[in-house]
Amino acid sequence: MANEIMKIVGASLPRLEGMDKASGSAVYVEDLYRPGMLHGALLLSPHPHARIVSCDTSRAAALPGVRAVVCGSDFPERRVGVFVKDEVILAQGKVRYAGEPVAAVAARSLAIARAAAALIVVEYEPLPAVLSIDQALAANAPLVHENLERYVFRMPARARRNIIWEVDLAQGDVDAAWAQCDAIVEGIYETQAQYHAYLETNGVLAEADQSGNLTVWASCQSVHHVQTRIAEELGLPMSKIRVAVPRVGGAFGGKHASNLHSIAAALALKAKAPVKLVLTRTEDFEMQRSRHPVRIHLRTGARSDGTILAREARLLFDGGAYADESPAVMSFASLMVRGCYRIPHVRVHGTAVYTNKLRAGSFRAFGNPQATFAGESQIDELALKLGIDPVALRRKNLMQDGDYWIGGHRVAVCSAGRCLDRLIESVRAAPPLPPPRRERRRGIGYSMLASICGLMGTSASVHLRGDGTVALSTGVVDIGQGSDTTLAQICAELLGLPIESVSYGAPDTAVSPYNWKTAASRSTYMTGRAVAGGSNHLKEQILRHAADMLESAEADLEFRSGGRVGVVGVPGRELSFAQIAQHSLYVAGGPIIGVSGLVFDGPPFDPKRATVERFAFDNLGVYIFGAQAVEVEVDEATGQVAVLRAWSAHDVGRAINPASVEGQIQGAFVQGLGYALTEEMVWNDGRLINPSLAEYAVPGIEDVPFGVHPIILEEPEPTGPFGAKGVGEPALSGVAAAIANAIAQAFNGARPRRLPMTPERVLDAIEPPAGQA
Amino acid sequence: MKLHLPESLDEAVALLQTYEEARCLAGGQTLVAMLNANLLFPDALIGLKRIKSLDGIERKADGAVAIGAMTPHRAIAESSQFGAAQAILGEAARGIAHPPIRNFGTIGGSIAHADPAADLPTALAAAAATVEIYGPKGARTVPVEDFFVSYLTTVLEPGEIVTCIHVPRGPDAARCAYYKLSRIAGDLAILSVAVVVAIQDGICTEARIALGGCGPTPIRLTAADRALVGEPISDRSIARASEALAAECRPFDDFRATARYRLRVMPRIVRRTILSAAGRA
Amino acid sequence: MTQPERLPVALMVNGETQEVLIEAEATLLSVLREHLQLTGSKRGCNQGVCGACTVLIDGRAGRSCLALAATLAEAEITTIEGIRDDPVGARVIAALVEGAAVQCGFCTPGMVIALTELLRAKDRPDLAEIRDALSGNLCRCTGYQKIVAAALTLASNGHGE
Repeated sequence: MANEIMKIVGASLPRLEGMDKASGSAVYVEDLYRPGMLHGALLLSPHPHARIVSCDTSRAAALPGVRAVVCGSDFPERRVGVFVKDEVILAQGKVRYAGEPVAAVAARSLAIARAAAALIVVEYEPLPAVLSIDQALAANAPLVHENLERYVFRMPARARRNIIWEVDLAQGDVDAAWAQCDAIVEGIYETQAQYHAYLETNGVLAEADQSGNLTVWASCQSVHHVQTRIAEELGLPMSKIRVAVPRVGGAFGGKHASNLHSIAAALALKAKAPVKLVLTRTEDFEMQRSRHPVRIHLRTGARSDGTILAREARLLFDGGAYADESPAVMSFASLMVRGCYRIPHVRVHGTAVYTNKLRAGSFRAFGNPQATFAGESQIDELALKLGIDPVALRRKNLMQDGDYWIGGHRVAVCSAGRCLDRLIESVRAAPPLPPPRRERRRGIGYSMLASICGLMGTSASVHLRGDGTVALSTGVVDIGQGSDTTLAQICAELLGLPIESVSYGAPDTAVSPYNWKTAASRSTYMTGRAVAGGSNHLKEQILRHAADMLESAEADLEFRSGGRVGVVGVPGRELSFAQIAQHSLYVAGGPIIGVSGLVFDGPPFDPKRATVERFAFDNLGVYIFGAQAVEVEVDEATGQVAVLRAWSAHDVGRAINPASVEGQIQGAFVQGLGYALTEEMVWNDGRLINPSLAEYAVPGIEDVPFGVHPIILEEPEPTGPFGAKGVGEPALSGVAAAIANAIAQAFNGARPRRLPMTPERVLDAIEPPAGQA
Repeated sequence: MKLHLPESLDEAVALLQTYEEARCLAGGQTLVAMLNANLLFPDALIGLKRIKSLDGIERKADGAVAIGAMTPHRAIAESSQFGAAQAILGEAARGIAHPPIRNFGTIGGSIAHADPAADLPTALAAAAATVEIYGPKGARTVPVEDFFVSYLTTVLEPGEIVTCIHVPRGPDAARCAYYKLSRIAGDLAILSVAVVVAIQDGICTEARIALGGCGPTPIRLTAADRALVGEPISDRSIARASEALAAECRPFDDFRATARYRLRVMPRIVRRTILSAAGRA
Repeated sequence: MTQPERLPVALMVNGETQEVLIEAEATLLSVLREHLQLTGSKRGCNQGVCGACTVLIDGRAGRSCLALAATLAEAEITTIEGIRDDPVGARVIAALVEGAAVQCGFCTPGMVIALTELLRAKDRPDLAEIRDALSGNLCRCTGYQKIVAAALTLASNGHGE
């Protein structure tokens, strides 16, 4: 079937690696073994804040079977970090959170390594700890970092005492606008630390050869990023470090970096042997990362007709012991808290502070869930005060095509309103549920959401192999979202090849073209563009070779599906990709390789439209929109909330693989459900008291309705591959607000303003205890 | 650590006494998790799986059932041996964790662990069960409520093993209900209520109410039970029972909920569970 | 550190008896992964909560991280590596892959085992039975929707034995 039209883009092809994963043969980092491999173990700090008086590793080192012990002094004294260079890989001088790695051991067996770690004697002098945002900001607060002024910052951040970074965004005249408002609502919204809870903990296998060259297999979101960090953390040139990645058992932002990588590398260099170091679940909870706990003070005002005039937000981010991605997460939340509405007067002030707790960092949707919980809860509160239907109030104020986001980014295609239309259509079409049991009430709540996809650089290469199949290579790590398949689909579609003819190379810094990381909903949009560019570059060269071989002008040639090039109008006169490849490899022209790379370089903030100060990144991405609805049932006796069904509408530009897109929406929604209702890392006196999956409540199948309905809109993004945009993160952001709004709908406006909305907090909201009414 | 798999109870008891710190291994669903988390460092584990007499549910002529300590939760959840009052065990067992845990976790292991937020201890208290124990001094039997001493602590003396749980037939015209409030399905309870009531001609003739998650052990009070007896189940009688129970509740704050919340919702769940039991034919 | 005592144990895994020399506290999961190189059973929590290590022990789904291998000399153990050649197991795997129910894949082997146990016992389970059977298997990627949908497809086709 020579001219069969390929339909690979837009088809829900099964995952390339699906059978391997489902049948247990896919290999993850803990499944790897190397000859002579040692096992690593860590010693973590038991104190949230303490001076290290001494660290005696002699007994550990003397234990038979121990091959290497490292502690803080084995690392360069220079501090590292992306935005603030404030971190060391193993504690030096003092520990700043309970769970901070202090020392590590490599030994012949895991049991010996753990026994040795327990023999390391660290003498601590406990210091007063800063355990909350308020404590961090108190006038006489102990300092988490005494020498902040000596640290290197990526840009001026107004850091002082326990303040890491401050951001200001403003447009219009908020102070004057309040006087024109007929209704003003104001509230404080608080969110918790959420744990990523990828099913696979962080782990790494690092190997050093006799010349000090490192090979690192990491469960991670980017081989290039891990390579960059190890180079900085160990003070080595990148040429000495190769990073590769096996299959990754989920990441969600929690595997973009880990102290673990450089610790294992240091052990491997010291032992001159491979060292596998995989975190226990409790270690992963205690030392890795969380979503930021945030307190948002928000105020919104409108005219009596529902026109929103002003919004003011103060965001306080608890960054934990190290700055990590706090400046970026806090900046992004500050940008998003206005919401996808036309609000002429806006002022946002964001602050991130240090505390003696686990560092908070990047986590799917990156500050947006916190901002959206506050922002979209308050839209419903405003609607109630104005006596306007919450959906109608949203419609009246939504941004339209060509409007500007605060900061001055123009949003050419603003599909928020169309997402809402499709959402309402689906909600209305849904059959009514049987009436609730006694003592239960139902409500439906809505939330809008906006996000971006883009950021930084990426690239792709496409090699034509001798048999006419192609080898696609990018730096994108498939952390479960399906990018291997999606990117291969883009390549196959453009080349007219069946998907089986495209292989996706496992990312490896030795061979893969650069990619920043799997983050920011960017793989399909950003690397998809590079794959399209590389595929088209390959086609140009194939055409040139074919023209030589067929002795025709390129203009007279056409691509035919199945991997062939022929002379227009002459059906028999054609060459297969295999013939062209053979010719290139053995006769003339040389190997055919298509390459393409790009960096997101959209327009910067526009100082004429808004004040934007100390915003942690210059360039973001294209804006994406969605709308969500959740129907809940609340037990009015206990305050327990059950989600009965939900709808989540997203403009994805173009669904390259619709089933994968649906999976992203559903998965993000359910992670948002856990965030909204059950998940919370709890510290007591600076120690995490629920660091296991038995104690930290991740929703299981019975806590989630079979009825999370994805709704896909396809409004092509002109710059995206086949018009595609990202979808990995947004469906998480609106869930908490939609649930809070559903509760409020059922209980005359009573609502929790703190996450997670546990039965206790819901009960306190719907039936305030005596004296608090 | 040593591991033994004795074939008889006497052998198991003898082995338990051989070590300073030996533990019985039943289904392992809690014990092995604790070992994995380095929360326990026993010298030896005495596995009970080869002692055939410990497994199975037997219904006696008088309607009582004897449940071997090694009977897995799944067998209890699916058993057809229970009468109307005993059925509370099946209901509670069906809510324990999830199927793989129910396949291997045992009733003996559950009560010997004595977590007040677990399901079976509370249900057994409402069912007026007794615990048969075998040890160096022979066999003895204790009412289940006396079996639990405090948080994770029982009356078991060194060398003693739970062998069987006896559950009486219960009153005529019995009905039961078990309610578990938990953060997520299969989690340990924030609070649980087990109720067995007998209702004849509209009058409650007997009642047993037990609470889980409201103190270091399951809570059952004769005064609370009496508050229901001798009259139809009503809001008033339920309120009296709840008041009596509230005076005995000693819940703690933990990451599942605060003590304050548990005290607040206890009467509501007691009410809901009693009404649910009473409404059940 | 004193050398821990090791016990010789013959384990019947996927129809084959294998001799291993293990410590008393060795879990079945660690023996499968480290001694027998059967790495399809995953260690997600080592606490029996996540379900990624689920195997069949005498036909019943159980946590290999909560079973001490030395107690299993008489048991018949089936891991994901054995289930993929089982007629029901193979259909479960295919249904999950075709139904886009596999994302990161770390939970999937455990899901396959739990569904295989269910479908062997019941040809056409309903939604509630499917949810109960999978209630001990956490998934952080899919939101469970496509896993349930794939299981329902199997059930409606009567794909048990």
